[in-house]
Amino acid sequence: MRIRNVVQLHTVNKLQAFGWPLVIMLLSLTVVLIIGALVVNVAAAAGDGAQARAGMNMGMQWNGAIFALLGPLIGFGFTAMGQYFPLALGLGLTRREFATGTALVFAGNAAFYAVIITIGKVIEVATGGFGLGIRFFDTHFTGTGEWWQTLVQTFLLILSVMLVGAAITTAFHRWGQSFLWVFWIALAVVVLAFSAGLVLSEPFRGFAVDVGTMGWLPWMGVVALLGAVGAAVWLALVRRAQAR
Amino acid sequence: MTAIVTRQLSKHYPEVRALDGVSIALEEHRIHGLLGRNGAGKTTLMQLLTGQVFATDGTMEVLGASPVENADVLMQTCFIQESQKYPDTFRAIDVLRVAAGAYPNWDQAFADRLVDEFRLPVKRMIKKLSRGQLSAIGIVVGLASRAPLTFFDEPYLGLDAVARRMFYDRLLADFSEHPRTVVLSTHHIDEVANLLEHVIILDEGRVLLDADTDELHHAAMAVSGRAADVDAFLSDREVLERTVLGTLATATFTARAGDERAAREAGLDVSQVSLQALFVLLTTANAAAAEQPIGTRSATDVATS
Repeated sequence: MRIRNVVQLHTVNKLQAFGWPLVIMLLSLTVVLIIGALVVNVAAAAGDGAQARAGMNMGMQWNGAIFALLGPLIGFGFTAMGQYFPLALGLGLTRREFATGTALVFAGNAAFYAVIITIGKVIEVATGGFGLGIRFFDTHFTGTGEWWQTLVQTFLLILSVMLVGAAITTAFHRWGQSFLWVFWIALAVVVLAFSAGLVLSEPFRGFAVDVGTMGWLPWMGVVALLGAVGAAVWLALVRRAQAR
Repeated sequence: MTAIVTRQLSKHYPEVRALDGVSIALEEHRIHGLLGRNGAGKTTLMQLLTGQVFATDGTMEVLGASPVENADVLMQTCFIQESQKYPDTFRAIDVLRVAAGAYPNWDQAFADRLVDEFRLPVKRMIKKLSRGQLSAIGIVVGLASRAPLTFFDEPYLGLDAVARRMFYDRLLADFSEHPRTVVLSTHHIDEVANLLEHVIILDEGRVLLDADTDELHHAAMAVSGRAADVDAFLSDREVLERTVLGTLATATFTARAGDERAAREAGLDVSQVSLQALFVLLTTANAAAAEQPIGTRSATDVATS
């Protein structure tokens, strides 16, 4: 099995594979830090700097700035099949080799960036939001609990999204535009049904609240399940995927 | 030994029979030409032989085994296709680095020399390269891989005449030093005619002609002269094409032994038919024959071998 060649295919351009995501993350963090510093300074001038820090720390629990890093990683699942798979076939790699190597790259990427985010979170928490009360790494998207929970959550989130992305792209590769029509219509029906349930059904509303407030571990189970379904679909479809 | 054997190989899509019952055998260590009009099935055949797509019917052996998901076979094959897609973030040097790892016989010094000769800007993003520079990437990979079985599918789209000449020269020189099996698909037939040892012409997914180029040099002949003389000479011969201009006529026909002498004795001028002209005649005749109702097809219909 030429797994090393597949890994090399995905990581040959180190700047693109590792450099730019980190640069973009640091730029995003810098913007958040500047905004945080401005807010704290203005508030301090008015005599309520501590309150501003506390307010930001509370209000930024859903800060999505970390998606500056997670976004490109989400896209990696799509590009792995959309752009790297045709080249892998062109270079004489088998589908089995490509799938095995790419799954390893997914796992490696997820682990690498999960460690980066966890280190960032530990520093952020230890310094009180970099002395400003801001939240960049310590959010609900990456886990607001213990550091190891952030590590596990971020790893599972990145890995699952990559696998689902690869599965969607492989299905598109196989069935073309008709798959996208079915996918978007099915998604719209699910969203519509969910919204209708929330508006029209009291028991459903209660159920949704129960799901929304369930603990960290069950949520990790949901994320892992999504990733497992994505992996199963991807691996099943890639075995018969053809060059387009 | 044969490098490639297919038997009744077919690839059907919902709306088209891209390949329909193709049976061929290509000997190893030769340069084979795979010719055909656009949509004839050339790329599909090469995609099948490199395991990129799956056959609808038939069997194939590449280097003695099925190529489908067969790493042992595929690591010995290199497929350079004009429509090859590259990741948006790739530079030419990234492709060359990956190729260097993928092909066991890769010659880095040769690759570096080719990069210089084709003036390939290896550190520029691929999406910013011209069509010719994209083709140059494929040529460098195809030649430097030294794969025992190399497929070139229209490898020089966008390349200027100098670069194309350079490709032919490097291919021939490296082939002489490192014999391997090359399958070359192209529309520049006359440019490669001297390279090819064996030719397969595909038309509408079927094999229209399968012959050594030596045989083809004598397969057809053109005569010209007074129309009456030409017509008299052609009376019992298989005519591929005939044009009349006033009292003069020119005709191309399937040649038999002694035809050249007979034509000269009949007072006609004789000339050889180039491979490209033969290709045009055969594919045109085949298209015309396909349009005729069954039962009315003439002796000029193209025979496949």
